[in-house]
Amino acid sequence: MKPAKFDYIAPTTVDAAIEALSTANGEGKVLAGGQSLLPLLNFRMARPAVLVDLNGIKELSFIKLRGDRIAIGALTRHREIEQSPLIASKLPVMAAAMRHVAHLAIRNRGTIGGSVSHADPAAELPMLSLFYDATLSVQGPSGRRSVAAEDFFVDALTNCLEPDEIVVELEFPVLQHSGWAFEEVARRFGDFALASVAVSVRRKSSTIDDARVAVMGVADTPLRLRQVEGKLTSIAIDGQTPDRFAELVTSCVSANGDLHASAEYRQHLLGQLAKRAMQASLAAKG
Amino acid sequence: MSNDMRAQPSDVVRPRNVGASIKRTEDLRLLTGRGEYSADRKPDRPLHIAFLRSGQPHALIARIDTAVAQASPGVVAVFTAESISGDFKPVIPFSRMANYYATPIMPLASGKVRYVGEAVAAVIATSRYLAEDALELIEVDYEPLGALSRAELAVADDAALLHEEAGTNVLIAREFRKGDVAGDLEAAVVRVGGRFEMTRKAPLAMEPRSYTAEYEKRRDAITLYTSSNIPGIVRDAISESLGLPGHRLRVVAPDVGGSFGSKGSLYPEELLICIAARKLGRSLKWTADRLEDVSSSSQAFAEIVEAEMGFDANGVATSLQADVIGDVGAYSIYPWTCGLEPVQVVSFLPGPYKIGSYRGSVRGVATCKPPTGPYRGVGRPMSTFVAERLMDLGAKALGLDPLEVRRRNLVRPEDFPYRIASGIIWDKTGFLECLDAAAEAANYEQLRIQQADARNHGRLLGIGIASYAELTGIGSRIAVAPGMPINTGSETAKITIDSTGAITAAFGVASHGQGLETTLAQIVADDLGARFEDVRVIQGDSDEVPMSTGTYASRSAVLGGGAAKHASRILQEKIKRVSSHLLEANQDDIEVSEGKAVVLGTDRAVTFKQIAKAVYSDMKTLPVEAREELTATYTYDPINGTTAAATHIAAVEIDPATCFVRILKYVVAEDCGRIINPMIVDGQVHGGVAQGIGAALFEELVYDDDGQLLSASLVDYVIPSAPEVPVVDVVHIESESAVAGGFRGMGEGGTIGAPAAIANAIADALSPLDIEVSILPMTPERIFKLMEQARLKSRGKADE
Repeated sequence: MKPAKFDYIAPTTVDAAIEALSTANGEGKVLAGGQSLLPLLNFRMARPAVLVDLNGIKELSFIKLRGDRIAIGALTRHREIEQSPLIASKLPVMAAAMRHVAHLAIRNRGTIGGSVSHADPAAELPMLSLFYDATLSVQGPSGRRSVAAEDFFVDALTNCLEPDEIVVELEFPVLQHSGWAFEEVARRFGDFALASVAVSVRRKSSTIDDARVAVMGVADTPLRLRQVEGKLTSIAIDGQTPDRFAELVTSCVSANGDLHASAEYRQHLLGQLAKRAMQASLAAKG
Repeated sequence: MSNDMRAQPSDVVRPRNVGASIKRTEDLRLLTGRGEYSADRKPDRPLHIAFLRSGQPHALIARIDTAVAQASPGVVAVFTAESISGDFKPVIPFSRMANYYATPIMPLASGKVRYVGEAVAAVIATSRYLAEDALELIEVDYEPLGALSRAELAVADDAALLHEEAGTNVLIAREFRKGDVAGDLEAAVVRVGGRFEMTRKAPLAMEPRSYTAEYEKRRDAITLYTSSNIPGIVRDAISESLGLPGHRLRVVAPDVGGSFGSKGSLYPEELLICIAARKLGRSLKWTADRLEDVSSSSQAFAEIVEAEMGFDANGVATSLQADVIGDVGAYSIYPWTCGLEPVQVVSFLPGPYKIGSYRGSVRGVATCKPPTGPYRGVGRPMSTFVAERLMDLGAKALGLDPLEVRRRNLVRPEDFPYRIASGIIWDKTGFLECLDAAAEAANYEQLRIQQADARNHGRLLGIGIASYAELTGIGSRIAVAPGMPINTGSETAKITIDSTGAITAAFGVASHGQGLETTLAQIVADDLGARFEDVRVIQGDSDEVPMSTGTYASRSAVLGGGAAKHASRILQEKIKRVSSHLLEANQDDIEVSEGKAVVLGTDRAVTFKQIAKAVYSDMKTLPVEAREELTATYTYDPINGTTAAATHIAAVEIDPATCFVRILKYVVAEDCGRIINPMIVDGQVHGGVAQGIGAALFEELVYDDDGQLLSASLVDYVIPSAPEVPVVDVVHIESESAVAGGFRGMGEGGTIGAPAAIANAIADALSPLDIEVSILPMTPERIFKLMEQARLKSRGKADE
């Protein structure tokens, strides 16, 4: 299980990285944390002619408050996000979700840019970028452009990038909400999610006046459930809300099955997690 | 963590080391990266092997074209079955069993492939990278013959044959009978039964299989460093196959990173690397990657058992019958045969119970999967799962507590030695003592109260018990595998004090994680009268002892330990004789301890160093006839072997929302006889239980109907990790066995008891929903399905 032969380039600037990718003419692949790419190389499922290692581009690693948004550099490691006080105070759902991202050794290497670019439907960061309405800054030969997270994920393991483009940073708008929850079930702690639900709500007396809902692990891409969000704002909060919410979520998602969980079981989990997530979100004193 | 019930005084006079929790000698090097595994060997300019493995489950090999691969950069040779056909004799896993067909073991697939992952060609190149590049350039034309994916289908009359010469896909069939089962079942007040299954499992050692063959040109000799737990058997088999005498074929198991049985058989790759080394006159290396290890190392379980047990009105089990079908994979393994796992299921099914009549029949069926082989517990995880489920079903039907039904059926202290219905004889062991101690440690009655309270709140809490017994340290009277011609009943220790006074104890047994370097040194230190830290243990090297078979079947503490005791005592006698000259004292007045011979009641003493100098170097001190070489060799055979037993109790809770099982409490009370090192015993129990949890809840090799492995990586093959393993409370019942030292084998027990205990706990937790557990692993998916079915059923009832 050794990778096929490839050339290795380690640029120290984004421009040099883009140039290397352009020269590779579609045969290049970007290496960040390597936690998904290296197994693919070793299985020879990915066979790039050129590997462009971004780890030398120091300017891509940061977490900053920019107005009412949090900007995170693409090369920022999962572990840094997990431990950041800024993330904990401004993006609490992300902070909670980070503990579910694989295992410590993987979090020490894996990067946010790598994770969203890899676009695994059962990975937390692609889902969080949808959940928070993140904007991705993408750089290519003709400069930078912005892509909404919603437009970024095309299919399982497929994003909308051109072969010579890389994600350089992500901006997450801060939510002013009263309650939130992140619920996930995996075979073992740290495994890919069998199902996961993220919820955040803003309460106004006995109603919800703004809501965010996203799920993952159940479809080919993470899903933002705008339809459910819309319906939530029209119902009064009572003891039945978590159950009604679970029904809303399961009625607009049709889960996939695989080796670890059948479609029926995933659908069941989704409903159970949605219920738990809404209970926790409403219990919070905002 | 452990509370011990101490043994009776042992035959060891004032033991200092045996019984002490001495830290493992090997850990310093293993934990600081200074161990030396097979892959760490650095022979001169070694070549690297990569295997082309079949992607077909069952196909004729019509053509192999290696020309382009041969010309690829760095490639030295490409071998196929054809190009090495004159270089070896096939190895036959012979057995005297009736109704058994021995499939020959070939280094590379010959004529036909029989499972996905079988090696078809070997590329030898200057690096593994270049070798793998060349693999892609080999062309193989296959003519597919259709996969035999399930044993139940492969036994059909019209099924295609995997081995035409066998004339059937049933490679082994056997039946055990005692008494009138049909009559006793007829007469039984309560009959319980079911269809029980344990799916296919990977042993999954941390170190994958790894071989380095070092070729010595000047005398056409090979030293094979192999990640094996049977280096002696490997040496003898390759010697025979290649026509290389033992003094030109040395097989060494250096540091080995776990086996759990997966490194306990001869492998085609071990043959191939030696054939290639000799053919090319070069040293060679190969280490399986994880994919190769999971898809070509021997696998476990894959059995379905239809079983029934009858009880009388007093809750006494009177009769048991079982039909076992084992999916043994594509080949028989050497030397254990494909009968090893499934035949042991019927051999051990009556377990520690006094069941009057018994019928157990077994068929081992060839399918397009890697062979099954030894796996920690061999046969007994399955037999215990079945018997313990039946005990619980019986208890339920009789209205008895599961603890009580076991108490009524276990072999009692006054009954030993006891021959169970399948013919196995248990020597005196603490069966009931283990049951009582486990119940006490688990606070069983309190647990039941807690459970009742939890149920009132709608929580799914369950308690499961599993009692079992196993044969360990088997001597020459019993074959480890049925009908096998190899003697597995003895082991040799050779202990030497050299001219510097250093002590070296050499064994053929081969630790792959058991800590034998520590425990054998503890025994030698006590019986020789040496300091523990002065004893160096060498093991797993075929050059050190004339014959050995290795470490498997929970035998090394009993056989290696017994040999160590005897050899140590012979050597101590020599030391006494020599020192009686040096100290001018009567031999009987000399005591040997702490590396010195001392005249009792005086301060006159000589050290081993002084004794060695007098014997070997100083020509004046001793008369010539008193200069006995300070070495002793002893080959120990316990003849029958000894029993080990335990009771496991698990308490679990099932989350009805996620269908996940959480283990709340886990207790093991075990009897492994005199304990050599309590810390190592606890570690073995903890590790075994962790693996048993894997079998009970997580691990499953899934092959589809086309014979393709769907769970080939550790993303899909899920093993328990630290958060999934609870604190395990271990209680030791230290009843001495009759073998030398009073030891019993104990490396396998954890995996035997845990699947059954957890299965029973899950069934108990789900009993309010009227759900039974009959297949392992009980994954969340399976629990979900069972709960859904129960929900539909109860809804159906409510509608009626």
